[in-house]
Amino acid sequence: MADSIWIHYARPRPHWYRLDKAAKAAKTKDWAAVAEASKQAGATCLGRYHIRGQHDFETVEIWRFASPEAAFDHWARLTAAAYNEWYAFSNNVGLSLDTPLP
Amino acid sequence: MTLLTGETDVFSAASKADTCAVMFMAKWQAEDKAARGAERDAIAAVLGALKAEGWLLSIRAMFEPDGPNEPMALDTGFAHTVDIAGVFEAPSLSAALAGTIRLEKAGWARLFTTEWLIGPREFATVKGAGGDIPRPWAFLALWEWNDAWAEADAATRVEYDAECDVAFKGDLAHRVNIAGRHRFDWAHGWHHLGAWEAPSAEAIDAAITGHEHAADFMFTTSRHLIGPVRPLRDLLQPS
Repeated sequence: MADSIWIHYARPRPHWYRLDKAAKAAKTKDWAAVAEASKQAGATCLGRYHIRGQHDFETVEIWRFASPEAAFDHWARLTAAAYNEWYAFSNNVGLSLDTPLP
Repeated sequence: MTLLTGETDVFSAASKADTCAVMFMAKWQAEDKAARGAERDAIAAVLGALKAEGWLLSIRAMFEPDGPNEPMALDTGFAHTVDIAGVFEAPSLSAALAGTIRLEKAGWARLFTTEWLIGPREFATVKGAGGDIPRPWAFLALWEWNDAWAEADAATRVEYDAECDVAFKGDLAHRVNIAGRHRFDWAHGWHHLGAWEAPSAEAIDAAITGHEHAADFMFTTSRHLIGPVRPLRDLLQPS
């Protein structure tokens, strides 16, 4: 397993703003459950930060996963829950510099 | 494999799990725009090791995994801000990511500023008309689903996929081989890669015109790269 950082930039898509409060809360709850499952599987969320003042996106979220595969799995579960249909995003993955290479 | 969008007439889910594209878009930063002998050798050694570990080192090899597997790339400087581009295929996400670092450390990092895009294969390869004719040109399409796609309902997206399939069938009729589709969204802003090999630049242009007619770009924002395909070792030592 290789210590992996995963950086997630996001902003709501235009039609998100037209949802009422209850609909937003229901979707946010679904996605929070995905995040919780990732944490239960061993991932760590280092935090979610506001960056709208100096970026095209609204927030950046930083996670540590045990492997790139675990990061992919987290994202695949979010997209299966239609997260990408409500939020525009850009993601990055990185391996720790301490990772032994062949 | 988790598909971001579903199968169509043209595209079916890849049967081999875990295979992962490693795409690169690289611009010379070395002042002499050439690899030194030691760098060429070190990069060649890493590529040789990757091949031994099961990597495919060209788009061509994705169609013929048991055929020649020499590192190949697109010569893109004539048309794009990047000088070379290409796609390899690694046995796993972890291997893919580590492979980019191994190449960078072998000397690639001094030669180029590089954007690496990594992600699993979603759709299997599809061969175009014409059989095994020479296809010395390649085309790389990166795209993201835009806000209009995100807002569209399921029925509209199915209709849209069917319309795009008409264009993809047109690509095959233009004797284009389509190396399936890869998923990049987990680690990039682009969501997908479509890599083609084609008989000529004209065939690519005619095919893409078909995509414009099919309103493909109504729901996507795209970036396209074209170039003749050449051995990577030649591209590292331009004349």
